[in-house]
Amino acid sequence: MTGFIECRNVGKTYDSASGAVEALRGINLDCAPGEFVCLLGLSGCGKSTLLQIIAGLESASDGAVVIGGHELDGPSPLTSVVFQDHGLFPWMTVRKNVAFNMKAAGVKPAERAARADELLEMTGLTAFADRYPHELSGGMRQRVGIARALTTRPKALLMDEPFGALDAQTRGHLQEELLRIWESQRTTVLFVTHGIDEAVFLADRIVVFSPRPGRISAVVDVDLPRPRDPESAGFMALSRSLRHKLVPDLQGAPLG
Amino acid sequence: MAVSALEAASVPPIVARARQAARASRFAPKRLLGLLPLLALLVAWQLATWAEVYPPVLLPSPERVAMAFVVDYHDILFNALASVTRVIVGVSIAFCVAVPAGLMIGRYRTLDMLSDWTIQIFRSVPPISLIPMALLFFGIGDKPAIVLIFLAALWPLLINTIFGVRGIERTLIKVARAARASEWLIFRDIILPAAMPAVFTGLRLGIGGGWLTVVTAEMIAVKSGLGYMILNAQLTFRSELIVAGIVIIGAIGLLADQGIRALRTHVCRWQEGLTAAAE
Ligand SMILES: Nc1ncnc2c1ncn2[C@@H]1O[C@H](COP(=O)(O)OP(=O)(O)OP(=O)(O)O)[C@@H](O)[C@H]1O
Ligand SMILES: [Mg+2]
Repeated sequence: MTGFIECRNVGKTYDSASGAVEALRGINLDCAPGEFVCLLGLSGCGKSTLLQIIAGLESASDGAVVIGGHELDGPSPLTSVVFQDHGLFPWMTVRKNVAFNMKAAGVKPAERAARADELLEMTGLTAFADRYPHELSGGMRQRVGIARALTTRPKALLMDEPFGALDAQTRGHLQEELLRIWESQRTTVLFVTHGIDEAVFLADRIVVFSPRPGRISAVVDVDLPRPRDPESAGFMALSRSLRHKLVPDLQGAPLG
Repeated sequence: MAVSALEAASVPPIVARARQAARASRFAPKRLLGLLPLLALLVAWQLATWAEVYPPVLLPSPERVAMAFVVDYHDILFNALASVTRVIVGVSIAFCVAVPAGLMIGRYRTLDMLSDWTIQIFRSVPPISLIPMALLFFGIGDKPAIVLIFLAALWPLLINTIFGVRGIERTLIKVARAARASEWLIFRDIILPAAMPAVFTGLRLGIGGGWLTVVTAEMIAVKSGLGYMILNAQLTFRSELIVAGIVIIGAIGLLADQGIRALRTHVCRWQEGLTAAAE
């Protein structure tokens, strides 16, 4: 294996009050440096669980995760997480939120301020630097979350349905922006979504999950040229075939 | 960045307007509505003394009470200062103990298990009921009064701080852990600010409790302060000084509460527009 992120036979069982839940079984995944990988699957198939394990926030019950050649034991300095509900601190201004990860990493204040300004500029947030998160729209909040994740120059971005709560138009804008950032920074991106079109638009490779227990049911390379056109024949054909890959799950499980 | 421009044009003015409205309403004449019941009370009191519902020895007229403020201003000031100082000292010590302890108990499950029952038991004991013990241990003087105020303020501060920490969104702690923040940074930059609104609630209750306690304690355990002054005024049949004492106790209570609220609004500025404000 030569991946930057490697999952070796990862399994996870939650012990909850209502009994054990096997969320993941036998996950083998290998992300090359600079690769954009989407984890696609229906609700409850363990995508978030896998991302949390890779982020070092949950421990695997089975197997191991290796990042940059080191076996994971808690959050890695090489990765940054972007959370679905943005995870901004309501008592910090946008600037302080963006600078937080650097503060946690022990970066000097002067360097922190300079780097934060740089990222605010890059994400078009300069004018909002001194606002509080609740004064921003959902799309801008998510941008702050992305800016914060990028400040420490991570080798990989771990994103859990970052655009899930946004309207279609804002989501489209942010997808394009994310691709622009990804192309300029050359980071590895691991992106959880249950949107087929979102995955086809973004990914180099799509990893399809199926539930109960969560496992990988298919891996699809996306060879469409970028920038991708959702109206193109190739795009639609791939979406259709992915929809079919997700369908067998629908027969076994109620929708919801 | 078309969407940025769009959002720049649409979102902030709304926020700015909401802020303006919030600021204006704080100083609006509406605020003076609060004086209305007090004025009504004053009028009723004046009428009652004119009609001599009670003999003047029991119920002094408003003018006589006002005169007491002039004649005995030195006494009143000295005793008020003594009471206020005790409350400040007692509540400050309680704050320094309860807030760090509350942050820790709220964060660590084991500490919570360890302390929960004890807290629930001791907070049910009214500080006043501890006056006899405080007297036995510390004699007459400032010490027993301050200890009682400390106890009166400790529990509301502690319980509210714990409550505040519990209310933190789990995601925020995850954000910090994912960023490899030290435990110290998590306490300082996340847990403390997140708990701050609840800490202020605790402080308001604590100061209220402390103020109630000091007046009572002074009637028994100390030879100065507003409680002592009132009790003494009763022994010398100076009903106007009793009422003057009551008025000043109430006024200081109101002032302290307003002060804490103003401080809270300032410290927790970020909450402005986040929580539902009463219209
Ligand atoms: N902390 C937990 N304790 C117990 N069970 C959990 C916990 N977290 C997740 N699960 C269970 O693990 C399974 C996978 O959950 P997970 O959140 O990873 O799914 P997901 O693919 O991210 O779903 P969604 O698309 O809805 O976010 C679910 O059955 C869920 O109930
Ligand atoms: Mg999820």
